[in-house]
Amino acid sequence: MFDYELTTGALMESDTRQIARGLRQRDVVVLEALVEQYQHRVVRYLIYLLGRRDGVDDLAQEMWLRVLERGSSYDGESRFEPWLFRIARNVAVDDLRKRRVFSLDSNDDGSCRPVAASDEPSPFTLAARTEDAGRLARSLETLEPVYREALVLRFQEDLSLQEIAAIVGAPVSTVASRIYKGLATLRPQFEGGSA
Amino acid sequence: MNIDDHERFRRMTDESLAGGIADDGERLLREHLDTCTGCREYHDASNRVVAGLRGFSFEADASLNARVLSSLRRSAQRGRRRWVWSSAAAVVLTMGGTLVDLRFGDLMASVFDIQRMQVREGLLTFWIVPSLCVLMLFPLLPLLGKAGTRREERI
Repeated sequence: MFDYELTTGALMESDTRQIARGLRQRDVVVLEALVEQYQHRVVRYLIYLLGRRDGVDDLAQEMWLRVLERGSSYDGESRFEPWLFRIARNVAVDDLRKRRVFSLDSNDDGSCRPVAASDEPSPFTLAARTEDAGRLARSLETLEPVYREALVLRFQEDLSLQEIAAIVGAPVSTVASRIYKGLATLRPQFEGGSA
Repeated sequence: MNIDDHERFRRMTDESLAGGIADDGERLLREHLDTCTGCREYHDASNRVVAGLRGFSFEADASLNARVLSSLRRSAQRGRRRWVWSSAAAVVLTMGGTLVDLRFGDLMASVFDIQRMQVREGLLTFWIVPSLCVLMLFPLLPLLGKAGTRREERI
């Protein structure tokens, strides 16, 4: 039926051309494999970006529909993940605009403006699986979204600075600066004998 | 060693984590960390932040994949169906226009009291050629969509 075969977990960088072809042809088999492989990563990214769990599943669903509609814009020449996360970011930005909660435009003036924390346990507190993660949860909750975003893309998705810059639409130097500031905000949790 | 040097090595620690530094820089950093307790603590704390960030596990809703796949299948089918119907309509219109010209061209010329060639030109201009253009445009729609998407993705 198909001249190629994509199975769950078997999508690697060398498959980018097959992914591009599958998306161009709106091939449901390819989409299924992509959903299986990337769903939890997309959900994780959106939670980091938005700082909440509510509504993230709906946004993930909307993102995959956008992947289907705009699949032809992926050329298969570069890695798939940055393209996917860029779409996820656009969906999140649209949602934020609708809700008028906060902007992802950071002033990048060297300060991390704290975001008001609620009394309810944050998704980070609920998702902490290690002691170190538990210590970071509260600080992550109050960290500005752009810094959380840079941290998750670098340290959980293992994307390069160039790839992150392409996703967030900012210069590489800005992305690096966001990572430094994010680390600087979280580091005190493990400094000065508190570790 | 003055304070600026420690600051420099702490900055190198951040750079090493963020994007990697050159081999020479990495070697210098290692050598410094072996002899400087303060910078070592800074380095260890930074690494624990990264380890902590990797220690979050977000579970997607179990039913989410099924919901997403179901809506993707529906949407893909809708798109295919729309494409097929639109193409079929364009084919029918093109053939219809040609048929009208062949079968009723003379009749129309006499009714409107114009020349046969004028009827043909009118049908070609307002019916057959536009239908043909729509038919030929369909394969180009994904390319047009691609250009539009690129513009839109610049947020």
